[in-house]
Amino acid sequence: MDPIIALSLVLALVAGATVLGLVWQARQGRAAVIVPGAPAAQGTPLTQADVGSPVPFGANGTLVQFSTDHCARCPGTHVLLAGLARQRPGVAHVDVDLTHRRDLANRFGILQTPTTLILDGTGRVRARIGGVPNGADLLQQLDHLTGSNHDQLSHHTR
Amino acid sequence: MTSSATTRADTRPDLDPRGPRFGAAITAVLLLVVVFLSLTGASVAALVGLAALGALFAWGAFAGAGRHPYSVLFRRFVRPRLSPPAALENAAPPTFAQGVGLLVTLTGVVLGLIGLAPAVGVCAAIAFVAAFLNAVFDYCLGCQVYVLLVRAGAFGRPVA
Repeated sequence: MDPIIALSLVLALVAGATVLGLVWQARQGRAAVIVPGAPAAQGTPLTQADVGSPVPFGANGTLVQFSTDHCARCPGTHVLLAGLARQRPGVAHVDVDLTHRRDLANRFGILQTPTTLILDGTGRVRARIGGVPNGADLLQQLDHLTGSNHDQLSHHTR
Repeated sequence: MTSSATTRADTRPDLDPRGPRFGAAITAVLLLVVVFLSLTGASVAALVGLAALGALFAWGAFAGAGRHPYSVLFRRFVRPRLSPPAALENAAPPTFAQGVGLLVTLTGVVLGLIGLAPAVGVCAAIAFVAAFLNAVFDYCLGCQVYVLLVRAGAFGRPVA
C-alpha cells in the first residue's frame, strides 16, 4: 500500500479511537433514571439479603455499588459514595463484589464496574450509573427521590 | 454508612495510577507503528514488532504491572517531576489489562506466522484502541472485560 494512504488510515484509526473515547467519556458517571414499572426497573425490590450485604439498606435510599477485585476505579468510587451517603440522612452505601456473584451481574445486566444503583427506601431501583459517578448528579437524584429541599437548592445554584 | 472495602485478590504493591497510563501511551504509539508497517506491506517488520510488544505485555501480565519496564521508566524519570498522586491504585487491574493485551497481540502473531499477514495489523489496531483509550481517557479495560468474564461464569458458581 502507498505510504500516504497507509498514513491516512493510521490517522483515521486515531480519529476513530478519539471519537470512541469522547462518546465513552460522555456516558460515564451520569445517572440514568429508571421509571417504576418500566422493564429496566427489574420488578421486585432489592433486599439486603439479595446482595449479601452486612450493612442494612437505608430508610430513605441506598447506593448499591457493584465492584470486582480487578477494577481500577472501584476503590475511589467506594470512597466517593461513602462520603455522599454520609451527607444525606437515612441513605446507606453498600459495596458488592461481583467476582463470585454471577447471578447479580446477570440480573442487573452489568457491563462495567463500578456500576451504581440508586434504590429508594423500599429497595426499588430508581436510577443507574455506569462508571465513576458524578457526585452532584447523584446527590440531585437522591434528593429527588427523598423529596428533600436540597433538590430545590441545587436547582437554584445552577 | 458503608460496608468494608472489597477484598483484594492481589498482594502486589499499589501503583501510582499515572504509571500504567504512561506505559499505555508508549505502547499505543508503538502499536500504531506496527499498524503502519503492516499496511505498507512490511509484513516481517510488523510481525517482529508485534511479537516484541507481545513480549512486553507478557512481562507486565506475569511479573505485574509495577515491574513492567515502562513502569520502571515512569518511576525513575517521570514521577520525580510530578506532584504526588492523589491516591494509589491496586496493581491487579492494570496487570489484568496487560494479560488482555498479551492475548490480542499473541493472536496477531500466531495468525501472522501461519501466513495471515493482515491479521497482524488488525490485532495491532485492536490493541491500539484499548491502549489509546487507557492513556488518553483513563479507560480501564479490566473494569469492562473482567465483569464480562464474571457473567460468562469464569469464576465459579455464585455464593448462595
